[in-house]
Amino acid sequence: MKFPIKREKSDLKLALVLLFPSIFLVLLLVAYPMISNIQISFLDLPINPRLDATFVGLKHYTDILTDGAFLKSLGITLLYMILAVAGSTALGLGVAIFFNRPFKFRKLARSLIILSYVTPSISLVFAWKYMFNNSYGVINYLGVDVLGLFDKAPLWFDKPVSSFILVVLFAIWRYFPYAFISFLAILQTIDSSIYEAAEIDGASAWNKFKIVTLPAIMPVLITVVTLRSIWLFYMFTDVYLLTNKVNILGIYLYKTAFAFNDLGKAASISVILFIILSIVIIATRKRVKY
Amino acid sequence: MAMASTKKVKTVRKVGFYTALIALLIVSLFPFFVMLMTSFKSSKEAVSTSPTMLPKDWTLKHYIDIFNPDIFPFLSYFKNSLAVSLTASIIAVLIGIFGAYALSRLKFTGRTTINASFYTVYMFSGILLVVPLFKIISGLGLYDTKTALVITMIVQTLPTAIFMLKSYFDTIPDDLEEAASIDGLNRIQIIFYIIIPLSVSGIISVFVYSFMVSWNDYLFASIFLSDSANFTLPIGLNSLFSTPDYVWGRMMAASLITALPVVIMYALSDHFIKGGATEGGVKG
Repeated sequence: MKFPIKREKSDLKLALVLLFPSIFLVLLLVAYPMISNIQISFLDLPINPRLDATFVGLKHYTDILTDGAFLKSLGITLLYMILAVAGSTALGLGVAIFFNRPFKFRKLARSLIILSYVTPSISLVFAWKYMFNNSYGVINYLGVDVLGLFDKAPLWFDKPVSSFILVVLFAIWRYFPYAFISFLAILQTIDSSIYEAAEIDGASAWNKFKIVTLPAIMPVLITVVTLRSIWLFYMFTDVYLLTNKVNILGIYLYKTAFAFNDLGKAASISVILFIILSIVIIATRKRVKY
Repeated sequence: MAMASTKKVKTVRKVGFYTALIALLIVSLFPFFVMLMTSFKSSKEAVSTSPTMLPKDWTLKHYIDIFNPDIFPFLSYFKNSLAVSLTASIIAVLIGIFGAYALSRLKFTGRTTINASFYTVYMFSGILLVVPLFKIISGLGLYDTKTALVITMIVQTLPTAIFMLKSYFDTIPDDLEEAASIDGLNRIQIIFYIIIPLSVSGIISVFVYSFMVSWNDYLFASIFLSDSANFTLPIGLNSLFSTPDYVWGRMMAASLITALPVVIMYALSDHFIKGGATEGGVKG
């Protein structure tokens, strides 16, 4: 019995050596900044490091929570998140079910579908900005001149509502392939004889989906919805690059810090968002497979 | 009679299926089509109020222009992006291999805690950390350096890298290691001679994931960089958007070339590796 104990000891030493770079970097650039956020959130901190910070207590927190801008931004973010998660998940599932059969060029089609997901945001954003341009964009040309969908060309990037529709559409289009790949992988594990049995029992397409497909894909569905919700809740890049009319929380935080140079207030926003994130993680921890 | 009608139903179904598939692909790929066609259109045609699908006169001018440093700083951005993304992903993979090996194979107290805390970091978005990271990077004297970006990208991708690698290592049978250790290999040798060769596909996936995240980053580049000589592609191209420098054909050509390295990497890894490189998830 001596041997395993000795082995365990040497494992700890080696584990510490092997894990040291990872732990060091995560502590320095994730854990320490998070604590630092809390500290900064009680200060009025100038961007210029030579100027002194002043302690303001809970002022930033009361400001944020009584300030309409934060609550409005929170509302917009939640709406954006819900619509984009619902849209991209439903579309991804639909396309996965559609793909869950043998057909010619399946592999090629699958790769092409994933293209919008792997391409960098900046490239996609340029394409969308061009397509939705007010005066020479192809979308307004098709929508007004060819199909007559709109009476007047919508000024996509100039109005909050049309910009909001645009960023939601962009998110659905960009992120549905993630749901698609996840669902396709799990759908392929379902034994087709179960469907055949259901068919013999006279189950309709909807019943087959409800009784066979849905329970089988449930774990993946929960994971996809949770992760995408978290990621969209903190979205910054896609929306920031597309339009300046949709103030989601990521942008509100970024602008507070680097456009209005109010680092203390930005840190308090981060802390509030961090608390929301922690609640979500704790609540979903047991059901989500990461 | 019955046979003929089933055959007919089958054909109709098939036609319906492929029509739906093509419609889906058109909607999904339309922006890429527009990007590609605009990159070959003359500057005048690109802003015509009755847009054309295909260019009337095909031109390669924009591609020649973006590679000319006198008119367009594309090459400088491209080099910076490549330097940052390559360095960050190579280091993330290396550090990740050691960390993942420890979490997969070694027994020690605190393993579950470390595992769980990396899980949490995986879901963290960089946006929450911008204020303190800005302070820390400035404090370290790294403001406006590519190093700042490299370090941040390593940390952003490391937790996912460790998870993906750990799940690969978990599938390697213990017997192999025991046999190797009887042959006199120590743990470090085992990592290099047994684990790494057996996880090449996993390591490539992690590299591609890490490269894609770094290549895509706009947020940290916009906070840490101020001199345009240091700009990476996302921040560089976006900074040109509101200047007279931006000509649609050029921007589209630049966008396509920007997408090319990650799309090629993705396609290769998707082709050769089961599971592919899309496991990590794009956080945005």
